Amino acid sequence: MFRFQSLDEDCTLEEEDDGGLIEEEDEINQFNDDTFGAGAIDDDWQEEHKRLTGLQGGTGLGAGLGGGGGMGGKSDLGGAFDSSSSHLHSSAGQLPLPPSLTFSLSSSGLPPPDVEDRAGEGGLAESLARLILEADPAITGVGAAAPPPCSSGSSLCALQGLEQPMVLPQPSSIPHLNQLHQHPHHQLPPGPSSGLPPGLPPSSMLSYQQQQHLLRRGTAPMAQMNSHSIWENSMGFGPVSISLGMVTHMEDSPLMSIINEVGLPARPPQGRSDEGRDLSERVPPPRSSSPVIGSPPVRAVPIGTPPTQPMSHALNHQIHHPTAVHVRAPIQHRYPPPFPERLSPNTLLNIANSPLCRGPFPPGVGPVLSQIQRAQLLNSQMAGFPRGGPAPPLLPGGGFRPFFGGPPPPLAHRMGPPPPHCPPNHTPPIRHNTTHLHPQHRRMLTQRMQNRGVDRGRTGGDRRSRDPYSNLMSQKEKEWVTKIQMMQLQSTDPYLDDYYYQNYYEKMEKRQERERDSSKKEHTTKLITPQVAKVEHTYRPVQFAGSLGKLTVSSVNNPRKMIDAVVTSRTDDEEKREKQVWNKRRQILYTVEKMYSLLLEVQDFEKRFVQAPEEDREALLEQHKGRTLQLCNALREKEWDDRVSDEQCVMIMSVRKGKRLISRLLPFLPSPQAAAVVMAISRNLPALAKKDKQDQVLCWLVEPVAAVIQSLCSSALTDLLQELQGSEGQLASVLHNKFGVTLLYLILSEGERIQSSDANCQLMDDNRWTELVFSVTRELLSVPPSSLSPPLFTPPNLLSLFSRYVDRQRLELLQDKLQITSLSR
Amino acid sequence: MNYVPGTASLIDDIDKKHLVLLRDGRTLIGYLRSIDQFANLVFHQTVERIHVGKKFGDIPRGIFIVRGENVVLLGEIDMDKPSDTVLQQVSIEEILEEQRLQQQSKQETEKVKMLALKDRGLSIPKADNLDEY
Repeated sequence: MFRFQSLDEDCTLEEEDDGGLIEEEDEINQFNDDTFGAGAIDDDWQEEHKRLTGLQGGTGLGAGLGGGGGMGGKSDLGGAFDSSSSHLHSSAGQLPLPPSLTFSLSSSGLPPPDVEDRAGEGGLAESLARLILEADPAITGVGAAAPPPCSSGSSLCALQGLEQPMVLPQPSSIPHLNQLHQHPHHQLPPGPSSGLPPGLPPSSMLSYQQQQHLLRRGTAPMAQMNSHSIWENSMGFGPVSISLGMVTHMEDSPLMSIINEVGLPARPPQGRSDEGRDLSERVPPPRSSSPVIGSPPVRAVPIGTPPTQPMSHALNHQIHHPTAVHVRAPIQHRYPPPFPERLSPNTLLNIANSPLCRGPFPPGVGPVLSQIQRAQLLNSQMAGFPRGGPAPPLLPGGGFRPFFGGPPPPLAHRMGPPPPHCPPNHTPPIRHNTTHLHPQHRRMLTQRMQNRGVDRGRTGGDRRSRDPYSNLMSQKEKEWVTKIQMMQLQSTDPYLDDYYYQNYYEKMEKRQERERDSSKKEHTTKLITPQVAKVEHTYRPVQFAGSLGKLTVSSVNNPRKMIDAVVTSRTDDEEKREKQVWNKRRQILYTVEKMYSLLLEVQDFEKRFVQAPEEDREALLEQHKGRTLQLCNALREKEWDDRVSDEQCVMIMSVRKGKRLISRLLPFLPSPQAAAVVMAISRNLPALAKKDKQDQVLCWLVEPVAAVIQSLCSSALTDLLQELQGSEGQLASVLHNKFGVTLLYLILSEGERIQSSDANCQLMDDNRWTELVFSVTRELLSVPPSSLSPPLFTPPNLLSLFSRYVDRQRLELLQDKLQITSLSR
Repeated sequence: MNYVPGTASLIDDIDKKHLVLLRDGRTLIGYLRSIDQFANLVFHQTVERIHVGKKFGDIPRGIFIVRGENVVLLGEIDMDKPSDTVLQQVSIEEILEEQRLQQQSKQETEKVKMLALKDRGLSIPKADNLDEY
């Protein structure tokens, strides 16, 4: 009971919400139907489950009951519902049956113990059964949530089965329900007048297992009965057993009011089941809207199904005027035919013809309009058949509007040209479905048909009229096949698809033009290009202007491109080259990174050293330092042992970060290696300078290099200067570069310093230094001032250096050029 | 023709007597009642005609549905045309017997031929009529 109270609370909320908003519920119903089909249950399945399991004491009978009840005969009791509900109200104290249970029991074939006694009860049971069977699952759901007052607890108790035994069948109802089985339309009189025992009949109680078994068996035959109309009805298989008790107390519920207003969904016309399996009913229920934005229009019937009912005029129209537009299946498909299936061919022809008599096009006609318009004009001009006013789409077997223009012959139902007895003033008929053909072709066909028609029209007609099996394939089926065949003929590029046909008729036309007089203009008709307009079928996803990103809605029909990947095709060589370049660069960077990490460790060593006072640590750190240094070296000397490889240095220096690395690294290197690095730099200075054009970071190197230079011995210095000068013209490029100039000055100044400080220095031992200086001075003098880039700084002792080697005149020149004074810096 | 002018369509052949040759060699004669886009055919009052030499026999088969891909050729039978042929109609049993004999003799000749070829060291592979592969 408490459970129901909780449900009660839920229900009140529901009721409050729904109080005045009936439309929303309808909308919800509609959505439900769209999503789940007609079998959708509106209510919360969890509540349902709770209710069912609770009521049945967890026996799970509820499902069986529901199934059995729902699948019963769908008789038309829309009106009966109201009456029975009112009856239920009146018989508040009566015990409602779970008729599905009785159903199943009846199907199981239990012998009814005492039929006479329970005759009256059977009536109520049947009416209740009807009620339940016809009940909308929504009702049952809401009903489930509705609180059953304790006053009618009997009804509730009957269905709970919690503490009390299961409600068991009134066996007298069985024979009635058997009838119910067979005659689902049979309207049972509501007969609640009989007094059902207020309590549960403890007698005729079956065991739990038996009940289950019966229920299951009972549902099986049900299921097969009307499965074909499963989608037709909006009624589903809601748990039905409970509804009775609930219904009585649901008068206030909005759902009830809806049902009272609207009535239950009508029973589908019985004729449908007689038709046998209607293929179109196997189709999933129509959606109210396309599921995805931009999907192609939804077809109610799969494209491949043959027609079951006479096609509407729209379809006829399509046959005769093939379009490339998507076809939405005509709604008339789903309704019973307005006129009998097998019509006389004449009437069928008239029906087929009637849309062509009408002027305006239906809105769905697509881009082939111009052709059709032209064709229609031709028809109207040339085919002189009588026209009444705008004909109704489906001609009800009346009016004799001939297909090809001409009063129909009395006998001939052959879909051919009119027989010879048609009035002579009748113009040759035009086939409406030949719009895509060349006019010549059409004319030839017409003539051919007429000839053949004259010969054979009569006899064929006679014979076929006597054949009792004729027209097994109805007109609409023929049209359907024709439609498919015509669709296959549509072509956006006739010259591609039908080259010979096009060419042949072109030639013929030309020939005729040549033969005829040019004065006869009327015969030279313009060629109607039998071409269907190219409709862009590629789907473009919906895009909103100014929005960021794309629409998130995507489906099978319109898959969304997740990544706008653009394919750039490059030649193999290019790719290889590019790859090589990138690989090398990556390698350099990698090396640089490694060295950097080592360098950083080395640089941080001091800090760590300071922080670690213990001697052990110191020793370790020393080791570490040594190691890192070695590593640094090792990184350098890849190719030869103990020698700084030029290429490596240059490689590293080619990257900006590498240059920085070197500048930081230099102070940590042991002097010979540092010297070697500087040598390498100076040796490759032009190349480095070139690479550095963008970055201009060579100047970072000045300070460490200066430091290194200052530590150099004289011979090394000489070597360095020599390296700097290097090959012909190197010095010029060196001078061009700021760093180069600075380096040169550094070297010179160092040399000068050495000379000036130490009198008998080794610089003067060989003439190399002197020569080099000479050449430098020569170069300096010869170089145009524009190409001489200003150095970072000018060492002050340059003047004294030059004064040693050059004469006064040149010295002055140099002075001017280089703007070196004794005070310059 | 009137439905799809300029093309060949079976629509106009409906309710007429046709003779169809199937891929398995059978010859059916019947009234063509219905077609579809795959040229599947529905025959009514079908008769299977077995030809052996100058004799033929008709076996009534009732309603036949022929899958379109199995049709070799299909032609209308002109009822008006006088059917004076040298062929002689016999009973079903007789024609079936004749057919059996024919098959038998064919097999025997085939066997002899194969044997002869084998003796000479030649072998002709059996032609596969069913183009399933």
